[in-house]
Amino acid sequence: MVTNNPYSAVIASRISECGEKRFPTQQQQSLLLAQGRSAQWNHALDSPIRTEQGFTSFYFSVKFLLPMHNPVTISKKACFVLQAEVFPYPEIGNDELEEIKQLVAPVEKFFSDDVDSAKIDREATIPPETLQGLKDLGLFGIMIPEEYGGLGLSNTIYARLNEIIALDGSIAVTLAAHQAIGLKGILIAGNEAQKQKYLPKLASGEHIAAFCLTEPGSGSDAASIQTRATLSEDGKHYLINGSKIWISNGGMADIMTVFARTEVEVDGVKKDKISAFIVERAFGGITSGKPEDKLGIRGSNTCELSFDNVPVPVENVIGEIGGGFKIAMNILNSGRFSMGSSCAGMIKKLIELTSEYATTRKQFNKSLSEFGMIQEKFAMMALNAFVMESMAYLTSGMMDRPGIPDCSLEAAMVKVFSSEGGWICVSEALQVLGGLGYTKNYPFERFVRDCRILPIFEGTNEILRMYIALTGMQYAGKILTGKIKEMKKGNIGLAIGMVSKKLRASLGASVDLGLTGKDGVVHPSLEDSAKKLEQNVSLFGSTVESLLYRYGKTIVDEQLVLKRVADVLIHIYAMTAVLSRASRSISIGLRNHDHEVLLANTFCNDAFFKNNYWMVQLQKHSPENNDANIKKIAKQVLENRAYICSHPLERTY
Amino acid sequence: MKGSRCLHQLKSLRLLSHAGRLLPPAAGDNGALFRPRSSSQLGGLQCAQREVLRHFHSSPACTKGQPARFVQEEDKTRDKSLVTHDDLFEQVAKEAKTKATFNKVIDVYTKGDIRRRGHVEFIYAALKKMPEFGVEKDLTVYNKLLDVFPKEVFVPRNFIQRMFNHYPRQQECGVQVLEQMENYGIMPNIETKVLLVQIFGEKTHPMRKYQRIMYWFPKFKHVNPFPIPEQLPEDPVDLARFSLTRMANDWDAKVTVYQLPCTDVTESGAEVTLPHIVGIQSPGQMEALAKHNPDRPVFVEGPFPLWMRKTCVYYYVLRADPTPPEEKIEEPYDPERCLSYPLQLDLDLDRDLGDDESFDVEDLDEGPVFAMCMTSQGDQATLNQWISGLQESNPILGQIPTLFRLGAGPRELQGVGDADSASRSWFPSHVQREEAHPGEEAEAVVEEAEAVVEEAEAVVEEEPRRSQGVKQ
Repeated sequence: MVTNNPYSAVIASRISECGEKRFPTQQQQSLLLAQGRSAQWNHALDSPIRTEQGFTSFYFSVKFLLPMHNPVTISKKACFVLQAEVFPYPEIGNDELEEIKQLVAPVEKFFSDDVDSAKIDREATIPPETLQGLKDLGLFGIMIPEEYGGLGLSNTIYARLNEIIALDGSIAVTLAAHQAIGLKGILIAGNEAQKQKYLPKLASGEHIAAFCLTEPGSGSDAASIQTRATLSEDGKHYLINGSKIWISNGGMADIMTVFARTEVEVDGVKKDKISAFIVERAFGGITSGKPEDKLGIRGSNTCELSFDNVPVPVENVIGEIGGGFKIAMNILNSGRFSMGSSCAGMIKKLIELTSEYATTRKQFNKSLSEFGMIQEKFAMMALNAFVMESMAYLTSGMMDRPGIPDCSLEAAMVKVFSSEGGWICVSEALQVLGGLGYTKNYPFERFVRDCRILPIFEGTNEILRMYIALTGMQYAGKILTGKIKEMKKGNIGLAIGMVSKKLRASLGASVDLGLTGKDGVVHPSLEDSAKKLEQNVSLFGSTVESLLYRYGKTIVDEQLVLKRVADVLIHIYAMTAVLSRASRSISIGLRNHDHEVLLANTFCNDAFFKNNYWMVQLQKHSPENNDANIKKIAKQVLENRAYICSHPLERTY
Repeated sequence: MKGSRCLHQLKSLRLLSHAGRLLPPAAGDNGALFRPRSSSQLGGLQCAQREVLRHFHSSPACTKGQPARFVQEEDKTRDKSLVTHDDLFEQVAKEAKTKATFNKVIDVYTKGDIRRRGHVEFIYAALKKMPEFGVEKDLTVYNKLLDVFPKEVFVPRNFIQRMFNHYPRQQECGVQVLEQMENYGIMPNIETKVLLVQIFGEKTHPMRKYQRIMYWFPKFKHVNPFPIPEQLPEDPVDLARFSLTRMANDWDAKVTVYQLPCTDVTESGAEVTLPHIVGIQSPGQMEALAKHNPDRPVFVEGPFPLWMRKTCVYYYVLRADPTPPEEKIEEPYDPERCLSYPLQLDLDLDRDLGDDESFDVEDLDEGPVFAMCMTSQGDQATLNQWISGLQESNPILGQIPTLFRLGAGPRELQGVGDADSASRSWFPSHVQREEAHPGEEAEAVVEEAEAVVEEAEAVVEEEPRRSQGVKQ
């Protein structure tokens, strides 16, 4: 089987090129470590593959299914990119690690000593001295390059810092609105002059940034943006008119990235296109509304901004006029990846807080920690934190590769997984404390409230699921279209091939992507889990193919189908991340790596069954699939705009 | 079948009269009923004969309504007692036809004769009179009527009685009471059941009837997803509001009262009655209208009838012809529309036939309806007022030519005649119309419209039959 599989053949050849054993002995390891870096784990960074930016990483998940179906069209290099990007788990250099440690310690100290989250939550504002402390730590310019006065840190370190920052939701959101989206436009699409002018003050925190896209009538729908920028008669200014809502930092921002409709001439036809502008509050004409009274993240400032003939000089257009859509998309896509580490950081903190209670509180002469149902909650929190961490740092590692790798798909997967996992974890942590957790005496209720925003902002999870599934479908569809068309025409050979393959699969022929075995990239103690991943991946390949066969391009309208596709993809990615991380941990002998193996195997087992269930639901005429009923129920309820059942106490006679 | 049944009935009549002769005290009818049970073999015989002749078990369809005729026949032929029952009601009716008087009659009867002689006839007569007294929908009256039956006399006492049709005439009468309840949609209650058990016993025909009613009525009680209230609003504006909302079946649709009905006296002293104009339009319809091609006319059509229980109201629609396929423009896909995910996939694969469930028999392009209205006076001037009212919220109407295609009013609706006085008082303005001056109605329209309407038919389909006017 192995030799028949071109995929594994590629891997095999590649690995032999590396000329190393996958799992070095302890001696070799220490030797390698002594050299500063494990060369073996680093080969992805040094290999020429990294220049192959054409194979952007978002192929990652979909390309899994390719070897199963169309080994010819797929480039061998693409196969390898997967291996290079996901296995081994990305690593940072020792000096960088040292840097992190130096950075993290003061930040941690600041958050534990100087930040009073309860007060911030109560008074719905972050005190100026706290803000000043954050500025002094340089947290307002983590990713701004050093030449503009920032810390110039990588995505990985940004993610690491976010683990701590996330301990206070309000601060996390304030900082994220400032640097993850607010000034990102200038950073990724601004010209040198703009960077020179704005970034230094933004990096120091002297100026705070905000990102103004959402409008009363426009969320994800760019076509309904009403704010308009018109060129003044002298051609030196744009006048911006309109209003934006739910602007984080809206009340205190000095610099804003504002998206507005502009008239652009395309091929002689005048059209409205979105453009991005850098707007200073000092330009005048900007009024901010009353801060919103929110459920959580109360210390962050969210308000409405209205623009009344705000004059913006033409040199403040980000990118080119009419190019705002792409900028907005890139900013939004790049801002999400850190949520994984934020949630993981929060859960780790929650475990500390609750485990103390669970081990000291006694009921029936037993401590809470001896009860199975309490134990389950802790296991779940640990699992979630582990998976989120693995996904987050795998993604940030991929993003830190040279060039501008497009990791938006992975970032979206991390965001969906961690926001939902985070929500369950905080709620379970509160549950451990029972009634105590529900009071304001403990921070759990605040965590629950703060956490509720996660599935909503930075793209709701529903919308991100659509993005994840459709990106995958688009990619798979391009490759599979020819084959499916042949099949629809009735190509017997192809059909027989399909049938025999299905038959073989049903008879238990194992699927081998080359993750395990002699030249495998996964450690033998994770072999079972890797097999499960492979099995999921192969089934997912045929599921996607049958979905494309059934729905074609109309799959866009099948949201319930897409939701499952996205869920399967997210879990496959999570399994991969977990396997990759745990393999690395064993191999280099990290402390408690046996615990990691345990977590990885547990998670993979769980995800395997979930994936199988979802994929069974995706089959045609699947009795597990309730979609038709669900749609019908919703339709009847929505038609009546009410719950329509008669009351059970009603009678008719 | 029917014929043979009639024959049987005639025979049984003859037999009855015969029995009457034999038993003078029984006043010609089933005298055996009131005699002491033990006394008469003859009574039993008579019953048996009648059982054979009356075909109790024939199909229910045939039984339906028969007893009434039966009574009428008797009425005509020779039964005096029934005439007296009828008379009793007639006498009371001279005073007032109300529930109280109806109850009084029943009381008079039940108290008058301890033996309840001729109670079957009395009940039939009462059933017939119920609508007149306006108590046909009153459960208590039905129960009171059932209470007229003597208790326990007709309950079978042994298996033979139970096996055969015990006191068929009484049972039939009991069934008839229930049948009338059923026809008026009155659901019996537990009191009815107790009465039936007391009178006829378990597992008798009236009980079966009761059980069947109790099986089906609750099932059908809420079968209509769009129930109409028992009492329709009396105010024409409220009624129009209600019926328009009902037709539009859209939560967002907004009802606008363009004009309230009122009476004015002009300077010359003539009295002018302004009709009410109530319209409805949903945001979706406004949107569709705003997108309408101003070169293509819109039509005001009507009147169309809408029945609500016994009331008929008329409505007018503002509509257009379906957009011809060549004018349909699909909005081009804008890849820069959605910030978050692709709204379309760039694939050359269509939905598989096996999964194509888009076929829909109801999906017909009939042309859009942009708004509806109701008014008591369906002439062009009034409808024009509606259109100008609409124009305030739909400025595009100013550019679109509006054609009036009005039928000459609802003629066939006169047949509603027995939509009784009550419905008339509910909706006086339309009664006027129903009341019968189709000619006048047509004339009125003719005067108003620019073209002449020859044919006064409510069916609106062909151009020449309509009055047409163009409003620019």
